[in-house]
Amino acid sequence: MEESDNQLLDRYAAGDESAFEELVRRHQRTIYDLAYRMLENHADAADLAQKTFVQAFLHHRTFRRASSFRTWLFQIGLNLCRNALRGRDRAPHEDVEDVVLQAPQDTFATVAAAELQDRLGHAIRALPPRQREALVLRVYHDQAFADIGAIMSCSEGTAKANYHHAVNNLRRVLVERKGKS
Amino acid sequence: MTCQEVQDWTVAYLELDLDASCVREVTAHLEGCPSCRAEMEAVRQVLVRLKGRTVTDPGERFWREFPAGVHRQLMDAQGKEGSPPGPSPRRVFRNHMPVRAWPLALAASVMLVAGVWLLGSRIESHNAGPAPNGKTVVHAPVKGLPDTPDLVEADWPGAWYEDPDTILVEMASSLDRQTVDRLFGEI
Repeated sequence: MEESDNQLLDRYAAGDESAFEELVRRHQRTIYDLAYRMLENHADAADLAQKTFVQAFLHHRTFRRASSFRTWLFQIGLNLCRNALRGRDRAPHEDVEDVVLQAPQDTFATVAAAELQDRLGHAIRALPPRQREALVLRVYHDQAFADIGAIMSCSEGTAKANYHHAVNNLRRVLVERKGKS
Repeated sequence: MTCQEVQDWTVAYLELDLDASCVREVTAHLEGCPSCRAEMEAVRQVLVRLKGRTVTDPGERFWREFPAGVHRQLMDAQGKEGSPPGPSPRRVFRNHMPVRAWPLALAASVMLVAGVWLLGSRIESHNAGPAPNGKTVVHAPVKGLPDTPDLVEADWPGAWYEDPDTILVEMASSLDRQTVDRLFGEI
């Protein structure tokens, strides 16, 4: 039977380095995904994901275990993302997804789908930070609204409202852009 | 139920986040309202498109090396903060150096210092040399220690086993000046 995160944390606190590696391996993809979806480039996402784990292990004694270790990692990761976005130069960046989608294609349908994804990408970037956080946590990490509230330090209702506004905003922006083009 | 109410609940409806009675009402409204049905489909498409946005996998090598990278950063951060997170350096040190060795090392140090001090004090008393009246000076017993015998008249082999340090000091102090000059002059 697989050990729980808390059991691994206990082992790590007792000096077992293998527990550290197991915990990182267990959550590294999730935290990288979160960071990538917030920061939208590999270098920043990789750096932030590592920092998230560093902070978690540095302060693991303050983790009260009221939530899951994963939820706690999300909290740390999102805080670091907010700081990174605040300090980031808003210069245009290279989006790997867009690059892939904009590669020369023959069929009209594929190009149209790529354009739609590109518009969606821009619309997501334009969302207010809290809405974007709720959207990423819900759509890509299947978090319950109660957990999203815990991660974002707000109530479940506020988390839900942020998510609903995000989806409705995307819908509106996509319709407006479609009308303009 | 009005069109506005249905549109307010569109996301919750698609997320299955409505109670059963609300779901029935929205469903009934959608059946008779093409514009709300179109709106519902548009929002559903947004969610489908959102789900379709994938993150490019950085590759197995990246994932393999990721924990080591975290470990390096953690070591750096520990150095800066001065507070180790997991196993403390004390514990790590303890694993390599049994704690019981510390009292032994301390006791050995104390004995060494005491020995040097004792030797120094005896050399001092012997360097005083014979008294002006020609009698051999019997060195005073060291304070706090049991009285030491007069080595001039003592049984040397017996004294050697009891207190070799004192015998050595006695032998050194009994060398006359000429012998010392001859020995060290050659060096």
